[in-house]
Amino acid sequence: MLVKEIMRKPVTVIPVGTTIGEADQILLSRGFRHLPVVDQGRLVGVLTDRDIRFATSSLCQTPRSAGDPVSLAMSSPPLTADPLDPVEDAARIMREHKIGCLPILEGAVLVGILTGMDLLDALMILTGVTKPSSRLEVALPDRPGELARLTAFLATRHVNIHSILTYPTPDATVRTVLRVDSTQIRPLAEELRVAEFTVLWPLPKPQPIP
Amino acid sequence: MTTLIHRPEYASYDFGPEHPFTPSRLAVLLDLLRCLGHPAAPVAAPAATREDILSVHDEAFVAMVEALDRGETRPEAERFGLGTPDNPIFPDMDLAARWLVGGALHGARMLMEGAETRVLQLGGGLHHAQRDRAAGFCLYNDLAVAIRAFVDHGWRVAYLDIDLHHGDGVQNLFYDNDQVLTISLHETGHYLYPGTGHIHELGSGSARGLSVNIPLEPFTESESYLEAFEAVVPQTLEQFSPHVLVVQAGADAHFADPLGDLALTTQAFQTLYRRILELTDAHTKGRVLMTLGGGYEAQVVARVWTILYLTLMDLPIPEDLPREWLERWKHLLGPEVGRTLQDPKPAFPELPGREERARRNQDVVGRLRDSLLRYWL
Repeated sequence: MLVKEIMRKPVTVIPVGTTIGEADQILLSRGFRHLPVVDQGRLVGVLTDRDIRFATSSLCQTPRSAGDPVSLAMSSPPLTADPLDPVEDAARIMREHKIGCLPILEGAVLVGILTGMDLLDALMILTGVTKPSSRLEVALPDRPGELARLTAFLATRHVNIHSILTYPTPDATVRTVLRVDSTQIRPLAEELRVAEFTVLWPLPKPQPIP
Repeated sequence: MTTLIHRPEYASYDFGPEHPFTPSRLAVLLDLLRCLGHPAAPVAAPAATREDILSVHDEAFVAMVEALDRGETRPEAERFGLGTPDNPIFPDMDLAARWLVGGALHGARMLMEGAETRVLQLGGGLHHAQRDRAAGFCLYNDLAVAIRAFVDHGWRVAYLDIDLHHGDGVQNLFYDNDQVLTISLHETGHYLYPGTGHIHELGSGSARGLSVNIPLEPFTESESYLEAFEAVVPQTLEQFSPHVLVVQAGADAHFADPLGDLALTTQAFQTLYRRILELTDAHTKGRVLMTLGGGYEAQVVARVWTILYLTLMDLPIPEDLPREWLERWKHLLGPEVGRTLQDPKPAFPELPGREERARRNQDVVGRLRDSLLRYWL
């Protein structure tokens, strides 16, 4: 999944000469938390609602006032990303720098913006919860061909896979979470166990008392 | 009294011998009623018309079902949820599904005419069917067509879904309709199909607060289930004040069901049915339209739905299963069927983590109530 698939566009921007008070009004009235700041069409910074709180706080050493220009409160220069970057790279930049948004540049042109909320949307799409499906969790050995063995098994049962997520675990297995288009994952899990897969969910059922 | 709706053609809704939603479940049920001395005397309802189906489904979807019904090959069928392992294509599937919708609709009309207060359709309950696609064994949404008819009659409709799975089709079809309250109790969609039915799915627009979901932990047992029911359902019905209650009475929340992980006993189902009838007496002048639903272990659904039938008919619940019935169906009943109609006590070994599950269910119900209260003021 690429940034361009989930970024927001068009982007609302403010000129560098905008006052802090005017910018605050835009953030409030539009429900935004981030505003890219431009100087003659060129991106020069990002102003967040948090920047404004800090810059205008009476606890600040040199508190700014509503009439000051946003250049005195914004973060500059901003970190940016490319529309063709994978979303996980964008997520890593935002996480490492603890920032809430990335302006997306194509050359010098601002073409979109990606926020933490957009990454949550991406997570929901990636995990496949937007379609009716069941969840199957399998622990696979960490070696070539294991995922292929699992998906080939599902293919023989004509089970359509909406999404696959895998992640490494401390015990050196690969936790594999699938959302599949089937209500019948219990019988499927039993067949997988017979085929010597380690199925973590659904669990085997306790036997009734005769 | 109670009117039963059923006809032999319901058995034509058949996805094939390997499929869990098999009509033989109904044959085993009807024979158990007969052997207990209460042969069902059902009303045979006409099939729903194409127009009835189009009251909730898209024309393109219905046309696709009709084409497959005629035996045509359509590669794009899977886009409509058809030809999948859950919803295989079978001959005459359009008519088979319209029989079931027709039964629910006929029951709705009897209630609207005042001819009856309790109606049980022995079949149907196809709550996953969506506006534009089949899903989870469900072609046409019989419940939604009946609800639509009630709404067009000017009634407010409360829908209660006690199937193991979230009633997503019915919820989606009326998500913004402020004349319809939907309540679904189900195993949490964190794992189980269809993956929805979370507490924050509350309805939209003027219907905000009229979509109510009670997702329960896997291996939730009777006590915790009934506690959650009592904490939400009576008060929600009171707030909404419906003219009629529509119930999808799936039996797959039973502990022995092969597709799910809730752990109700037959005794819990009996308690639930009695409570539902009490609530209809309190809020809908006794008017209730019930369908069957999920439930994939023949010996379980026969026992659970027999208890449903006897409760609706105000008949006593006998202790023992008839010998001739056990003998006749032993090829379908499996080794786990006992000698009694109700489950033995205890019905299954103690499931570890019971208190933790009960606490998590209480937390979820608490969060749900916090969300609902703001719409009740």
